[in-house]
Amino acid sequence: MSYLELTHLEKRFGTLRVVKDFNLSVEKGEFISLLGPSGCGKTTVLRMVAGFETPTTGAITIAGKEVTDLKPNQRNIGMVFQAYALFPNLTVAQNVGFGLKVKGTPRAQIARRVEEMLALIGLPELGNRYPFQLSGGQQQRVALARALAPKPSVLLLDEPLSALDAKVRVSLRNEIRAIQRELGITTIFVTHDQEEALSMSDRVVVMHEGIADQVGTPFDIYNRPATRFVAGFVGTLNTLDAQVLDAATGRVRLGATEIDLARPLPPGAVTLGLRPEAVTLGQGTHDTRLTATIREVDFLGSVIRLRADLAGQPIAFDTFNNSHVAPPQVGTEVTLGLNAADLMVIGA
Amino acid sequence: MKTAAAWAILLLGMAYFILPLVGLVEFSLSMTRGEYSLEAYRVVFADPRFRDTFSYSVLMAVLTIVFGVVLVVPTAFWVRLKLPHWRPVIEFVTLLPLVIPAIVIVFGYIRLYNTSSWLPLTGTTSGTNLLLLFGYATLSLPYMYRAVDTGLRTIDVATLTEAAQSLGAGWGTILARVILPNVLVSVLSGAFVTFAIVMGEFTLAALLDRPAFGPYLQLMGANRAYEPFALATIAFIITWACMGLIQLVTRFTKHDKAPR
Repeated sequence: MSYLELTHLEKRFGTLRVVKDFNLSVEKGEFISLLGPSGCGKTTVLRMVAGFETPTTGAITIAGKEVTDLKPNQRNIGMVFQAYALFPNLTVAQNVGFGLKVKGTPRAQIARRVEEMLALIGLPELGNRYPFQLSGGQQQRVALARALAPKPSVLLLDEPLSALDAKVRVSLRNEIRAIQRELGITTIFVTHDQEEALSMSDRVVVMHEGIADQVGTPFDIYNRPATRFVAGFVGTLNTLDAQVLDAATGRVRLGATEIDLARPLPPGAVTLGLRPEAVTLGQGTHDTRLTATIREVDFLGSVIRLRADLAGQPIAFDTFNNSHVAPPQVGTEVTLGLNAADLMVIGA
Repeated sequence: MKTAAAWAILLLGMAYFILPLVGLVEFSLSMTRGEYSLEAYRVVFADPRFRDTFSYSVLMAVLTIVFGVVLVVPTAFWVRLKLPHWRPVIEFVTLLPLVIPAIVIVFGYIRLYNTSSWLPLTGTTSGTNLLLLFGYATLSLPYMYRAVDTGLRTIDVATLTEAAQSLGAGWGTILARVILPNVLVSVLSGAFVTFAIVMGEFTLAALLDRPAFGPYLQLMGANRAYEPFALATIAFIITWACMGLIQLVTRFTKHDKAPR
């Protein structure tokens, strides 16, 4: 049995089923992200683990103990909120020590732990400040220290980086991951930002309409999407309709080009997925060559994003900027190269 | 031209409010013929009934504030957290004391809790004091509830509560250590208004026959010339002191509020 088990979780609000038959097993020390668009049910799952929502059906088990019916203050869970939720009337040190004080921990022990936590988040000198005297990034670090101070069994992070500016987000997500690794604490992280989810997690759960569409490592989620939704939601993906010529050998026609996918396919039409980085301008060493017409050129600095027309279907791809070679003009016919193995067959 | 007109209106308004007060104070100082003196104040302070009624009302005011805080803070908190759809109903109920005269409330009390009723509170002094306390709490409810509710509006009640719960806090701890300290300024505003209301209240105390400051003011007004003016001045000073304290407390709050 895993450290944290969510079994057949379902949550209804009236007639609306927000979470449907959600199952997840999390190992001790694992960092799991719940990724999905707004309204997909990821926060509801997190709130059920925290105890703020009661599942309509299903069970939640932490370290072999069922906690489904326990109140939030009986679950020994640490939570970090998007809006920081620091207590404005308490200093940073008092905020960090709050959970320990509630538990009745001796004062000297609280002081030691607070010092330890403030050192961990890199703010050892700010213990006497009030939350309003801190920046957003500092407040969120204090919120993390406060959640970790009572040594919770599970750490829940509810979009903790959403309210921060881009630069702070990147540095803080690295810090959070480093602290999580150092403490080895089982963590569930809710986000709608795929970059955050992919860069921080051991495994990612992609949620769609209350269901876990796919659970896998960031590599698997990105490179082997199980559903059309996952393929479209995670990263940028070109979806191309192709005609199956030989279902047994996996031969398809894409535009004017016949490609051998070397895997069995359903007969008729099939949708293929292709990441922009799998396409190159010019065939190069790739095994497949396509012809397309450039429709749009976006100069992004180090990268140039090109959008082209491939036999009536749009295809986007990137090329690195080369100061000696100008990007192709709109309307130019170009040769594209790709490897057939990079074409994904998109399921339902 | 516009500025002059604005100043003229302001001065007129100030005169409208200040001149009667100047007259009040001036008359309260005129007890000794031919000179200004504090004689009326000396007589008032020397009167044992003043000391008794004043201290009784102060005690009742403090008890009313404590009862009001215990009643209103958890109620407003719970309504905001769990029953937001009940807010209009609760607000309507808390506003009722503004439209229902105190005399109606006190006659209702006397009818319900007289010596031949199932709960004869008026039969004992402590029972009647308790009724008076409830009456005062009812009269101050619109101000206390509004003040606390406004305070709660300035903090993210739901998230702070959940944060405290996730750290192991129960409802009592959340109310005492998280919610109350963050709405303390609002609670104190409500408390000072309650204090001013209780100190001047006449109807409930008179009809329940309790030795409060309001009936004493009325008694002096009916029988003396200068002393009622001295008492009225004292009552004004108490009210203004309360308002000043509200300002002070608001200004010297140590911490800021959480973003909503």
